[in-house]
Amino acid sequence: MTEHLAFACALSGVALMLLAAVGLLRLPDALCRAHAVAKATALGIALILCAVWLDLGPGAAGFKVALALVFQLATIPVASHLLARVALHADVPLHRGGTAGAAPPPDGSPAAPSRARHSAET
Amino acid sequence: MRPLVLDLCVGGLCLAMLLALVRLARGPTVLDRVVALDLVIVCGVGLIGLITLRTGTPHYLELILTCSLVGFLTTVALTLYLERALPRRKPGVDTPPHGPP
Repeated sequence: MTEHLAFACALSGVALMLLAAVGLLRLPDALCRAHAVAKATALGIALILCAVWLDLGPGAAGFKVALALVFQLATIPVASHLLARVALHADVPLHRGGTAGAAPPPDGSPAAPSRARHSAET
Repeated sequence: MRPLVLDLCVGGLCLAMLLALVRLARGPTVLDRVVALDLVIVCGVGLIGLITLRTGTPHYLELILTCSLVGFLTTVALTLYLERALPRRKPGVDTPPHGPP
């Protein structure tokens, strides 16, 4: 029973990691990619480590796995937040004009050259 | 059943790592490459976890802890470096809602 539960956890965790990789490959700009990777990766690695924890059982080994799980769940959102902050403030192309939290220009003037060029490409 | 499921899991994680490596090679900006590197390291941690699941020995758990720590510190160091190195957005055209603290 425990073994089957561990296998189910590992399989769903691997499916979430695949989803994160597909999102990383398919989404249009750095903010979207960081968004996809952060959520799916945090849940996926937590499920895989839960499978390892269920397999090893309680004790010193299980405690180490729990420590790794808490560490991953604490650090992946922090790293993703730092990345998103850099992507927001730095001059990298974004998918649509105004999606970075800034309002579009009120007089209908074209957006920044980098954004306009990138949205024309995609 | 046990080896089949674990083989499936290892194959899926290797495919995810391969897709992340494609983005790491192609990524148009350096931020995409940092995100892809993060995903590669997390996939490596998952692979070590699956090795632990397959062999049943707890000898690789320190490796899991160390790899996750190294991945986090890599992302933070690259991010703090890029925050100084990348050019800022032009003010007035693309003003972010909050300025730097």
